[in-house]
Amino acid sequence: MLLNPLTLHLPKSSLEAAKLYKELEDSKVLAGGTFLLNSMKLLKTKGTKTARNILSLGHLEDLKGVSFQNDTLTIKTMTRINELFESPLLNGHLRILHTVCRNISTNPIRNMATVGGNLTCRYTWTEMGAVMIALDANMHFLGPDGKEDIVTAENFFKNGARCEKLFTHVTIKVNSHARCSYRRVRKTLHVDIPMLAVCVKTDLIGKQWYNSRVGINNGVAFAQRDHLLEEFLNKSFSSADLGKEALEHLTTAIYDTRSSDYKQHIFRVSLKSAIEEICQ
Amino acid sequence: MALTSQSKFVDQYVDPVGKSVPRIEGRGIVTGQLKYAFDVYFPNMLVGKMLRSPHPHARIISIDTSKAEALPGVKAIVTAQDTHQIKFGSNEYFFPHTVDQMALESLKVRYIGDEVAAVAAVDDETADAALRLIDVKYEVLPGVFEIEEAMKPGAPQIHESLNNIAVILPVNFGNPERVMKEADLVREDKFWCPVAHPSPMEPHVCVGQWETFTNKITLWSSSQAPFKCREALAKTLKMDLNDVRVIKMAVGGGFGGKLEMLPMDFAACLLSKKAGGLPVKICLTREEEFTTTRRKHGMIYKIKTGVKKDGTILAITGEVLADGGAYCSYGPTVLAAAIMRIFMVYKIQHFRMSGYRVYTNNPISGAMRGFGGVQSGFAIESHMDMIAKDLGMDPVDFRLKNITSPNMVTVNKMILTTNGLQECIEKACDASGWRQKHGKMKHLKRGIGIGIAADVMGSKMYKSHESAGAIVKVEEDGSVYLFTGAADTGQGSNTALSQIAAHELGVSFSRIKCKSGDTEITPFDTGSFASRVTFISGNAALLGGKDAKLQILEIVAKDNNLNLDDLDIKAEKVIIKKDGRVLMSFDRALELCYSFKYGKQIIGRGSYNPKTTPIDFRTGEGNVSGSYGFEAQIAEVEVDTDTGNVKLLELWDAHDIGRAINPQSVEGQIEGSLAMGIGYTFYEELRFKNGRVLNANFAGYRVPRSIGIPKMNSILIETNDPEGPFGAKGMGEASLLPTSAAIANAVEDAIGVRIKELPITPEKIIKALKEKKG
Amino acid sequence: MSVNLTINKKQYSLELKGNETLLEVLRDKLSMTGTKTACQETECGTCTVMINGKAVLSCITLAANVQGDEITTIEGLAQGDVLHPVQQAYVDCGSVQCGFCIPGMIMSSVALLEKKPEPTQEEIEYALDGNICRCAGYPKIFQAVREAGKKMKNSVIASEAKQSL
Repeated sequence: MLLNPLTLHLPKSSLEAAKLYKELEDSKVLAGGTFLLNSMKLLKTKGTKTARNILSLGHLEDLKGVSFQNDTLTIKTMTRINELFESPLLNGHLRILHTVCRNISTNPIRNMATVGGNLTCRYTWTEMGAVMIALDANMHFLGPDGKEDIVTAENFFKNGARCEKLFTHVTIKVNSHARCSYRRVRKTLHVDIPMLAVCVKTDLIGKQWYNSRVGINNGVAFAQRDHLLEEFLNKSFSSADLGKEALEHLTTAIYDTRSSDYKQHIFRVSLKSAIEEICQ
Repeated sequence: MALTSQSKFVDQYVDPVGKSVPRIEGRGIVTGQLKYAFDVYFPNMLVGKMLRSPHPHARIISIDTSKAEALPGVKAIVTAQDTHQIKFGSNEYFFPHTVDQMALESLKVRYIGDEVAAVAAVDDETADAALRLIDVKYEVLPGVFEIEEAMKPGAPQIHESLNNIAVILPVNFGNPERVMKEADLVREDKFWCPVAHPSPMEPHVCVGQWETFTNKITLWSSSQAPFKCREALAKTLKMDLNDVRVIKMAVGGGFGGKLEMLPMDFAACLLSKKAGGLPVKICLTREEEFTTTRRKHGMIYKIKTGVKKDGTILAITGEVLADGGAYCSYGPTVLAAAIMRIFMVYKIQHFRMSGYRVYTNNPISGAMRGFGGVQSGFAIESHMDMIAKDLGMDPVDFRLKNITSPNMVTVNKMILTTNGLQECIEKACDASGWRQKHGKMKHLKRGIGIGIAADVMGSKMYKSHESAGAIVKVEEDGSVYLFTGAADTGQGSNTALSQIAAHELGVSFSRIKCKSGDTEITPFDTGSFASRVTFISGNAALLGGKDAKLQILEIVAKDNNLNLDDLDIKAEKVIIKKDGRVLMSFDRALELCYSFKYGKQIIGRGSYNPKTTPIDFRTGEGNVSGSYGFEAQIAEVEVDTDTGNVKLLELWDAHDIGRAINPQSVEGQIEGSLAMGIGYTFYEELRFKNGRVLNANFAGYRVPRSIGIPKMNSILIETNDPEGPFGAKGMGEASLLPTSAAIANAVEDAIGVRIKELPITPEKIIKALKEKKG
Repeated sequence: MSVNLTINKKQYSLELKGNETLLEVLRDKLSMTGTKTACQETECGTCTVMINGKAVLSCITLAANVQGDEITTIEGLAQGDVLHPVQQAYVDCGSVQCGFCIPGMIMSSVALLEKKPEPTQEEIEYALDGNICRCAGYPKIFQAVREAGKKMKNSVIASEAKQSL
């Protein structure tokens, strides 16, 4: 047997799932299973105990799907990466999600892994964090009493990506001025875990940058913003040199701490390129 | 017997040689029904697991299995005490002192993963629990992990050998020091060729069964060399050869890693004996696959060449240091191949190179596709390109100036007969547009590079002979059986050999059923390595088909009062050679053989041992192969100087294969080899720290996948070898020998940066570009 | 616990402990050894099956979690003696060598082609990027996918034409 003995819980509604989330001891949420079941197998080979109770969200229809209404994109937690990739609702600057999904892992994993899992798994290197921060997404959680908590993606990651309640969906407000770009670099050609991901978003009015947000995954800490860079961009206009100039205004600690020469170099290459893309 | 005017066997594959006949196993593969050793299940089969050393170097003080034996569900445990403590190795014929590995250690462990005990239990969990209960007390010894450190006097001694050097191979011809002084240009380079791993998709797996009432054993195996495995089992278990049967199932890839008996094969049989004859299956985890099987030798390759200003190579000296890991395996032959391949490719008279195969406390190095030729291919072909650049010569012209030619004998006595190297280079250049591209695309950060290589078809490695045998049995109903010892590991030898036998016999391919790799039923064959199967086993199949044909024609001649020499069988018909007149159908001829009058069974036999000599390890001389294959490979790349990413745009591989028995299979082998070469160039690097493999999984050890594979152009050149079956030479390894160099040379052409340590990574490119600027 | 699985359009009612992966159920309980495993770490793809028409990894799928889903394995593709167009194409194009990766590779191919019978080269590459092949180097695999797609498209057109008559 590849897994330790476990009890599978199959709630019939998201409210029931939220209750079980609070009540079950020694439990883990089973979304796509690509992280959870893989690590449970590995831990078993090392003789380590694993969670006894597994809370499966796989058959809850109200936790699946992508919708768009009132300038707001809603992505439910159990939406598979490939489902998001293929969604026809990713228009305007939301096209960036299409690119992000394309680069995640491999095809069968994209069919199984979920947006919710990518955001809440507590691995620092997963891609969605930086993007949701840049898009100023709100994360919605359901309590056992049926009440909803809303936390910005940025604060969620500031709090160490901890979920007190069941994560149900993400909402992203759009506006017509928004422009977005994304860069992701592999952790050497050996390993397909991303070394870094950067997502730059701004509201471009004419050539002026407003409300710029820069979401960074540096693989070391949870996804975060680079406020110094944002400050600079918010005083800037699109030009061929903006990308180069922006490199003088980085919160270098984000990029250079516990970072090889190459990583520092490629961070700057990625940021420059991402900014230049918006300037075009 | 039913007689029809149109045989039920006739189809489009009459005269099958040269045709892309679909794989015999094709249907079984695509329906998931083909059975690998991985899929073998028996009632009451036990799960076996190996207990391995956690230390890279340690003395074993004691082994206590009592707690494990008491665990319910454990059926057998074996340690060295249960064995005859006989060592095994892979080069015993030529290097008796390199027979250095015990199936189960009792005195000393020499790498992390070295086998100390084995258990058989009713299921995985129990076997794992039993392993944890075996108490082994170790006295940890200092380990040594770098080649040059291991060679220093005073380094921890791993075996009884001076300075941990298992094998020294001094190769000397002419007077290179004197001649080097006459050179217009001398260049010296050092290269690092990292450790790669065969990583077949099917891990090592076997099922062993001891038949207690006869004391015979059967091993269902994933081996590339079932007869070699049998030999080693018989030796270490002190049994007669004919009491050991190794049955090769379908093999999910080998690439050199499955060429010898491993302790798990031994343990499975012994556990079965101790468990009262129950079959025991041992399947390695992927981590064990990466760390405890066989890996490529990491090599430090130093080479110095003196040339005239017109490009003629005058003399070469150098040194090769190979990281052998804890035991010797096929090390000597890998070392020899790493040094000797150059003679097949370039005309050299003055040469001195010393090879050292060094023990370290790292996992064991053995044979991996290319056998040292991948490392030497990278080093030599990069080095030659750099010389050409220093001389201001086009790299292609430099090669054409120095390459070997047909019908010559090299300085180390290799007899080259057919040699299509020049045509390979020219065709590859034409196809790739070399002349229009080389040195002319720097503004696009694009470049094109070439590498050339040669390949052997077999080599006398572990026995005095390397013969192959074949039996061609023609049954009364017209079906034909080919029994061959050749081990199909996915390269398609069952199909190709059947094509050869059918073509020689004169019948349609659909008649043939092939049975291969069962040591009790099929004739001896040394195995699938050194690209030998098409050439050597193919000749045996041809001779078997010929013998069967002659037996049939003998009857026909007698019955019709004709001369045997005047008859032949072609395309299902018995014909008069002189004018092609059809005498009768093949089925009619068979009817005659099996008739009341004659009643003759048709059993054709073939045996083929190439007229070669092993490498003399004192001098480096030896015509190791019955023929030699050649190729030229060109790579085109585009470099992103911001990110350091090298995009491989296209590959051209022009290959002298003698004759393509099955063109589709040949292309498939070329493409697979190219992919492996791409892997070695960009991704594949097994990394160690203090003897521990850091990336023993597919997440950390990346192999080529569907994304990033460039367009591959295979150009087959048929030189019709006089010795090969229907003119065919072998192939299967050559296409990955020059790939790394071709790509490194292309990168140099694109951005003027030379990478001398594989793999080529974005980090190295960025670093080199920075150094070039500063 | 009692687990009901729909595999290759057949119903299986199994008595399981609950912690079995779908891979273990297929190979160990149902002797369907076409689906392989080579890594147990989600990287190799040899355990690929289709669930509700999507290619997924059976080694990280809990059998008890896929009751009510349509599971398709390599054993379910051929119709009696007639191979599925993808299977036939793999044989005809010489895309099979050792074969160990092929069942998983075929499942990924079928999942792609049923949605997109005329995929672009990039779509093929991304659909197969979870299946490692160590033997074939991929070009002939791409070719098989393209040719199978053509056949599947033509047979859809043919059956639609038939229906409209």
